[in-house]
Amino acid sequence: MGNRDVELIAHLMRRAGFGVTRDQLDSYAAKGYDATVEELLNPVDEQRMGDDLIRRFHPELSGMLGPNASGENWLYRMATTSTPLREKMALFWHGIFATGYPKVIHGKALSDQIRMFRHYGMGSFRTLLLELSKDPAMIIWLDNQDNHKDAINENFGRELLELFSMGVGNYSEQDIKECARAFTGWTIGNREYMELRSQRDSDWPYGRISWHFEYHTEDHDDGEKEFLGQRGRFNGEDVIDIICQQQATARFISRHMYSFFVANEPPVPEWPDTPPSNEHAIEQLSQAYLDSHYDITAMLRVLFKADYFKSPTSWYTKVKSPVELVAGVLRLTGEIDRPRREMLDRHLQSVYMGQYLNNPPSVEGWHEGTDWLDTGTLVERVNFATQQMGDPQKPGVQAMISKIAAIAECGISPERLVGECLDQMGAISVSEDTLRVLIDFASMGGGARSMDDQARQQIAAVIQMVASTQEFQRS
Amino acid sequence: MAWDVDSPETTGAKRGIMTTIESKPIMEFLEYVMTLGMTVMEGRGFYYPVDTAIGQDARLYVVNRSLDNVTRGVRVTVCDIDSEYYGTFGSFGNKDGQFEWPSGGAINSRGQVYISDEQLHRISVFDYSGTFLFQWGVHGSGEGELDTPSGIAFDNQDNLYVSDTYNHRIQKFTADGRFLLNFGSHGQGNGELNLPWGVTLNGNNDVFVADWGNDRIQKFSPRGEFLASYGTSGIADGEFQRPSSVAVDGEGYMYVADWGNERVQVLDPKGGFVMKTRGEATISNWAANFLSVNAEEGAARTRADLEPDIEYFVDVPHEESAHIEKFFWSPVSVKLDRAGMLFVTESNRHRIQVYKRSAS
Repeated sequence: MGNRDVELIAHLMRRAGFGVTRDQLDSYAAKGYDATVEELLNPVDEQRMGDDLIRRFHPELSGMLGPNASGENWLYRMATTSTPLREKMALFWHGIFATGYPKVIHGKALSDQIRMFRHYGMGSFRTLLLELSKDPAMIIWLDNQDNHKDAINENFGRELLELFSMGVGNYSEQDIKECARAFTGWTIGNREYMELRSQRDSDWPYGRISWHFEYHTEDHDDGEKEFLGQRGRFNGEDVIDIICQQQATARFISRHMYSFFVANEPPVPEWPDTPPSNEHAIEQLSQAYLDSHYDITAMLRVLFKADYFKSPTSWYTKVKSPVELVAGVLRLTGEIDRPRREMLDRHLQSVYMGQYLNNPPSVEGWHEGTDWLDTGTLVERVNFATQQMGDPQKPGVQAMISKIAAIAECGISPERLVGECLDQMGAISVSEDTLRVLIDFASMGGGARSMDDQARQQIAAVIQMVASTQEFQRS
Repeated sequence: MAWDVDSPETTGAKRGIMTTIESKPIMEFLEYVMTLGMTVMEGRGFYYPVDTAIGQDARLYVVNRSLDNVTRGVRVTVCDIDSEYYGTFGSFGNKDGQFEWPSGGAINSRGQVYISDEQLHRISVFDYSGTFLFQWGVHGSGEGELDTPSGIAFDNQDNLYVSDTYNHRIQKFTADGRFLLNFGSHGQGNGELNLPWGVTLNGNNDVFVADWGNDRIQKFSPRGEFLASYGTSGIADGEFQRPSSVAVDGEGYMYVADWGNERVQVLDPKGGFVMKTRGEATISNWAANFLSVNAEEGAARTRADLEPDIEYFVDVPHEESAHIEKFFWSPVSVKLDRAGMLFVTESNRHRIQVYKRSAS
């Protein structure tokens, strides 16, 4: 398999996962691009750090009293899973169905929501919306526990249409009201006690009690409704059926998917006035959605095999989100070989870079792309990547240095040294400008020769320098 | 809603629970006495307690793992079975007398309190009042070196046995930290260990180890010769999932914190199954104080159904315990006091459930 083919799979693994080590890349390359796509789309036999191990050494990641545990737990998954697309899709849905700690005040409820995304996020969009509508954290987040037969609360109904499925301009205010009526009676068990505890951030007397969905028939408005032109005594499931049939829904999900995996689109509020950057792609993905009866995996298959995704012109065009950057670095450094106290630091580093898992800035989620970068976060990102990748004590970094040092035993030019470092860090390809800077840097040490400490230090320095490049910060 | 699992009317309705982990406590052998403690970040209460050491004066030294970086949360809470509170000692940090990941607790014949630390790889020693005395521990895998020390227990000559978790072995030290011997290595065979956790000794100084990763309890002679193994992986009676702790009474009955199954099991001296319980916590003295002061929350609680009927699609024992408050949730440690009372420390519920042998 040629270098370009390997680099294509590296691109796939950056976008559909969190990047790969060179050894993992060899394994995928041996299977080929299409087989790798299928493996990502049909995750089986997941290997990862087990919950038992994490819970044993991090009780808080089991009981989840505070705002960080859910994110830390998730980061363990991202850093160690053999089925990264499932986590990437959970992250995708978290960005769209953005639910946050400050109102929910229940880390486990938020973690349970992510688990639901993990479970249903690559199947039918209808099932996913249904589970979302029953999700206790979402119910509290958008006040559906206050949506009663005789006094509707429109919050969930409005966001379901505006931010979760169709987008502004494709429904009326009356549709929102009818939608809200359909979801009356969809609430959580022990609403009064759980809501009070949440409002007071009460973990007394014995820690959090997990939430569960309840449907209260007596509080459901069973009357006739007219929704998106259809008439009937609709319940929430019926409304979701109608939503899923809409062309607007197909385009909305397609545009989100294109933005997340291919090239950033503007924020959702601008969509009514800004056409998609690639209308052909949106049409193709929408068709896959409708043809497959709303199957997310079918859409992803079309996307990952499309030229607009595979083309080298799309490589390194997306700024990694902070969590993508942190998870990717953790996979390369191999730091998380057992439960580590440092995981809290890694999670918080993502927070300092602007992405607090389970605590998005608003119901709209995060603004992606270059919005991740400002002078403060850029410094955080570069410092983080260079500190981690420049630490030769980390097992993954140590392994890279050893491989390159073995090659350098008979002498290696600065050009070759840079090439080997880029290769070991995941078959990274860089611009000519970046390459020139890296080679100049490597030349200052005169290349490397032998496996002595000085040579290893120089290799480590070049790896660290690569981590500071814009290509490393992008996917 | 209180429901009786013996009732044929409710058994079908509770199918989601009954088909997974049976919640019926068979209480011929043990009976529930009380619950101690409540969730408190600092001071009087517990925050992710991971072990309880019982002093000769019956004081309870409850080791709180708490949260990383919470200075006064990581601590040892001192109290007794009457809910009398005597204060705390220790804090988060790596200086003398501080902890980062405190794990096990044990008390020697002089009343000195020993606490292991899985992050700092050391044993810290305090007097009965919590004054720091000394510490030892070097991170490594050589003789006497430690990698993630967890459960600790004294023999009747004040030698300390340490579960040296990531070295997959047990090490024996004098009370002042001089290495004496070690046994066990990584594996699944008799005498081999996989991330051992709790450790205890019987009156003959035989050593019982919660062989966490191998889902069994192993018994060794005082010098480390393998003697017996109890249990296999599973959820049936006498089977374990990731047992975290074991206590042995004077008659040889073994009380096992079956951590992954969120229950406590009792085995007879030959390893035969005696009973199991999922726990039946009630309101502790400290919790009652809280609920009486916070009347609105207390009233809402009385109107809530704390034993809801839910179907769990994954991670069943953990999820059941997360939803049903009276069940054990992360029962991490079992300890017996001199009177034979069994103290079950629950990490995720920040409390201790106390049981005793039934009169019969």
